[in-house]
Amino acid sequence: MSVGNSLYLVAPEIILSASGLLLLLIGAWGGFKSARLVSILAVTALFASSAVALEFLLNPAFAEGGDAFFGQYRLDKFGSLTKLLIYISAIVSIIIAPRFFDNVAGGRSAVMRPEYPVLIVFAAIGMGMMVSAVDLMTLYIGLELNSLAAYVLASFLRNDERSAEAGLKYFVLGGLASGILLFGMSLLYGFTGTTNFNAINQAFESGLSTGALFGLIFVLAGMAFKISAVPFHMWTPDVYEGAPTPVTTFFATAPKVAALALTMRLAIEAFGSQIAAWQQIIIFIALASIVVGAAGAIGQTNIKRLLAYSSINNVGFILIGLAAANQAGASAMLVYLMIYVAMTLGSFVAVLDLRDADGNQVEEISSLAGLSKSRPGLAAAIAIFMFSLAGIPPLFGFWGKFLVFEAAVQADLILLAALGIAASVIGAFYYLKVIKVMYFDESADVVVKSDSKSHAVIIALCALFVSPLGYLLIPVLGNIADQAAAALFWAL
Amino acid sequence: MAIKLIVFLPLLAAIIAGLGNRALGNIPAKVITTGALFVSCALSWPIFLSFLGGDTQAFVVPVLDWVRSGDLNFNWALSVDTLTAVMLVVVTTVSALVHLYSWGYMDEDPDQPRFFAYLSLFTFAMLMLVTADNLVQMFFGWEGVGLASYLLIGFWFKKPSANAAAIKAFVVNRVGDLGFMLGIFGTFLVFGTVSIPEILAAAPAMAGSTIGFLGMRFDTMTILCLLLFIGAMGKSAQLGLHTWLPDAMEGPTPVSALIHAATMVTAGVFMVCRLSPMFETSETALAVVTFVGAATALFAATVGLVQTDIKRVIAYSTCSQLGYMFFATGVGAYGAAMFHLFTHAFFKALLFLGAGSVIHAMHHEQDMRYYGGLKKEIPLTFWAMLAGTLAITGVGIIHIGAIPALGFAGFFSKDAIIEAAYASGTEMGSIAFFVGVTAALLTSFYSWRLMFLTFWGKPRWIESEHIQHSVHKTPETAEDSTGGYHPHESPLTMLIPLGVLAMGAIFAGFVFHHAFIDAEQGAAFWNGSIAFDEHLMHAIHEVPYWVKLSSTFAMLIGLGTAFYMYMRGEGRPQALANQFRGLYQFFFNKWYFDELYDLIFVKPAFWFGRLFWKRGDQQTIDRFGPDGAATLVSYGSKVAGRLQTGYLYSYALVMLLGLVAAITWVMVR
Amino acid sequence: MIGIEHYIVVSSILFVMGVLGIFLNRKNVIIILMAIELILLAVNINLVAFSAFLGDMVGQVFAMFVLTVAAGEAAIGLAILVIYFRGRGTIAVDDINRMKG
Repeated sequence: MSVGNSLYLVAPEIILSASGLLLLLIGAWGGFKSARLVSILAVTALFASSAVALEFLLNPAFAEGGDAFFGQYRLDKFGSLTKLLIYISAIVSIIIAPRFFDNVAGGRSAVMRPEYPVLIVFAAIGMGMMVSAVDLMTLYIGLELNSLAAYVLASFLRNDERSAEAGLKYFVLGGLASGILLFGMSLLYGFTGTTNFNAINQAFESGLSTGALFGLIFVLAGMAFKISAVPFHMWTPDVYEGAPTPVTTFFATAPKVAALALTMRLAIEAFGSQIAAWQQIIIFIALASIVVGAAGAIGQTNIKRLLAYSSINNVGFILIGLAAANQAGASAMLVYLMIYVAMTLGSFVAVLDLRDADGNQVEEISSLAGLSKSRPGLAAAIAIFMFSLAGIPPLFGFWGKFLVFEAAVQADLILLAALGIAASVIGAFYYLKVIKVMYFDESADVVVKSDSKSHAVIIALCALFVSPLGYLLIPVLGNIADQAAAALFWAL
Repeated sequence: MAIKLIVFLPLLAAIIAGLGNRALGNIPAKVITTGALFVSCALSWPIFLSFLGGDTQAFVVPVLDWVRSGDLNFNWALSVDTLTAVMLVVVTTVSALVHLYSWGYMDEDPDQPRFFAYLSLFTFAMLMLVTADNLVQMFFGWEGVGLASYLLIGFWFKKPSANAAAIKAFVVNRVGDLGFMLGIFGTFLVFGTVSIPEILAAAPAMAGSTIGFLGMRFDTMTILCLLLFIGAMGKSAQLGLHTWLPDAMEGPTPVSALIHAATMVTAGVFMVCRLSPMFETSETALAVVTFVGAATALFAATVGLVQTDIKRVIAYSTCSQLGYMFFATGVGAYGAAMFHLFTHAFFKALLFLGAGSVIHAMHHEQDMRYYGGLKKEIPLTFWAMLAGTLAITGVGIIHIGAIPALGFAGFFSKDAIIEAAYASGTEMGSIAFFVGVTAALLTSFYSWRLMFLTFWGKPRWIESEHIQHSVHKTPETAEDSTGGYHPHESPLTMLIPLGVLAMGAIFAGFVFHHAFIDAEQGAAFWNGSIAFDEHLMHAIHEVPYWVKLSSTFAMLIGLGTAFYMYMRGEGRPQALANQFRGLYQFFFNKWYFDELYDLIFVKPAFWFGRLFWKRGDQQTIDRFGPDGAATLVSYGSKVAGRLQTGYLYSYALVMLLGLVAAITWVMVR
Repeated sequence: MIGIEHYIVVSSILFVMGVLGIFLNRKNVIIILMAIELILLAVNINLVAFSAFLGDMVGQVFAMFVLTVAAGEAAIGLAILVIYFRGRGTIAVDDINRMKG
């Protein structure tokens, strides 16, 4: 296990780190003017990393994966697949940013800054480390790298009070959460004598001491904050609402993927021998997320806030797959995540495309009234995303829900599946409300035409993916997800 | 192959015209549907004629596998035998002519493609019914015609009365359909199959067996036949379930001619004939059929005497004629029943279409009291109606010596039924005979009354609001009783069907009576497709002369009375009505059936409905079910919103509480 | 003799104090930043104590990482606080509730 080999296995992170540092310098020297160049380079770097991740994912030579840096870091299909999702989310978040920042009304800072793509790249590195981490230390560093970048991103609109408040709330609660997580890690280290996932798992096989149990719960609580699962979700609506929309797009996708993947890896690889200790908690968290996400969304008037609750709700469904604690569940989670990323990216980019005549962002749901007449294509796309998020059958969102429920049934969690399905009905309500406003309400004539081709392309691609045509991809996606899920269980 | 075309062309046309609707345009929709029907019709006649010539044996054309489920196996197949062939020509001919007639009649309607699509859909369903190889397929057709009937009665859906009539037809038919369904279930239970040939083959062996139900033993075949007959009663508007038919006249007149006179309402008769070997195994069932048929014949005829709406008179006449057909089946004269069905299709469709032509001429006035003197104005319609009236009243000369019997269509078929009732020799048969003769008298009276009121006498048009509306005058301002209104003869598209049907009304009886009801030829013609009783058919030739002449006398008396009442002097009908006030009201109000049903069924049903709706649904199920859940959810959303205070410390507190709860849970577990 | 339990007790007390500092304090965001530092210090005490107790270097390395990250975190936290103050003119915890529901 040479250092050279290790470096090779972390190639995606290396590419991103090197280019991130370089871009930071370019940005520092070039100022505002370099924003465009930095963005393009950042996207290029992310594409390069994606290509490497894809190579790792598809090339049979890497089927076995490998450990790097003395068991701190593992390359496997699971990590590569989730990295791919993270990079795609990051790329989209960078592409959609300039139009947003350049059009924010008033203020000197209302311009695209070169720091934005750089921060996204750093966050992407952190998330890449999270999904590949097999040691608590790597995990922590990855998580913090992501979080610190995210705090800054949330308050990126410096002159906007809501943005600053979002950053502050995110920072304080994030700090508390990483404190809890760290305290749990220290307990795990103390009571098992190791920070390596596999070693922790082996130590757990002989029983679970009270201290280790505390550690386990604390770590899971810290992770629950990152995936915004109830009751650690409180920051989500405020931060999603306050953060600039491209940042919210990023928050709703990449960190969710990374944190869920990390939670999966932790739960299976590190705590896999003590499933009973965490399964019921995950079940409770999943159901609570579904219910609170749905209930919270109902009263919302701001579409970003609504999507925040929607993401809480969806995380609940994804966690059902984790509660199943089997390979089918992990595979279902991965498929769900892929669909979730497409749905969420699509909906947020669609929201980003909603502007009034003065160029201001439109975020009130009531302003969407009559969208079906003024922007029929966009309204149709939003309708597709909403139906898909609600999991209504002809759309692809249904497939993800179906898979997690199937996994839950396989794991004999029939009550969980039944409750989840019942609760998904409540969720359908607020998605349908958006569609009702767009299609049936008296026209408000707020939203004007948009000339953004990049938005249109992204929305169209996402809509196509979650449309019934997505079902054509099931064999491919299912196969990849199965292999990736197998990688998690391979170590056991 | 021809049979598949016959059946599926109308469906194809219905789909094209229905889906194309206004995008397709009136003319293409009409051409497609009418063309399809004429092709079907042209293909049907050769089949019928080859059965008539004895060249063809019954055959079955499979279409699709339908159900393979345990013991329940059947195909979707088109079965053609003599009985089917007869129905094929009746259905396709009348349907094609009605399609053509509708070109003229519906000319000003904005929704023509829809109308023609419904007509064609109806025809398809009816063909499905008559070609059924098994009871389920027959039920499919049965429901299909019911649906088409519903759609067509309610075709003018902006008219509340049309909607009410459509719903009434649907609901009353549902009662009959329930019986039919139970009959099908029972048949499957008893015979283990729904295939009609297999059931009929096994039926005689089941005669006399009993079945236990609610701790009592019943005769199996009687129960099954009565259940099936309830279905027939609903569809064929027999006494008790007849109330929908007169109301169904709210639909356009071509619909009344096709569905509510010539074809759909005869489905019940067809079904009894199709299952005649089954009915033959139960004397009780046959007696019930005879009784219900005879009662309907008499009842409907009495009501028809006093109606003033031209279409309602013909509707009650239809009801009455269906009664004839049923008591014919009840006494075992299935051939005669089918023969009457066949001839009735022609003359009744003719009468309806003629009435439609009159209505068309009289600016949508349907009340005969405002007609009069139309003979000269619309002569072609008059002659056609006259042919129909002569046919329905059964004008003709019986076979004496070397002179063969001569007469209009109804003469042959109705006399055969009346004679068969007498010849059957049963008690119920002789009752049916007397009822039949009485009803013939009444039939003659109301038919001629219709003719006299409409075509003879002085014009009374100005009394009609429709005419007033048309000429912008009232009785006070008009110079004479015509109000200056000039009825105009209908267009050629309406007259051609009248002409064709008039030919049928005149000649159908004479031409086909040997094949349908002659003892030897009939047996060869029907060839086992119905239970053809040769002895009975022989016996009807042997009945005394007074029996043979009775219906002719009845017809003449009816004609004479009508002539006396309506052609000689004013006010006689009014005087008679005043004299027998009670009876007149009783007949005029249709024996108070609607009122009775309203009291017995409708009001209690509403009461129960309200009880279940208010108490059961709203206050119990909704309150604790959907509404309760919705309230809970909205309450939950308020709570979730309130917890989201916006304050950092409360967020942190919730997180910490979550952590503590998790720890507590794993520790105490 | 001071055993590992004592260290755990001390660190737990520090941790709880830090956590309480976050939601009992309603005055000043700076105090919250201090509370977060307190939590991280509790963790570090834990890690170093376990490291010594187990005779394993990993815990001390981990503690170094935590210290580094904590420094970065404090810097970013203060920066965010500054822009917040610029916008609102206050850093009272009770005033941070523009967004809720």
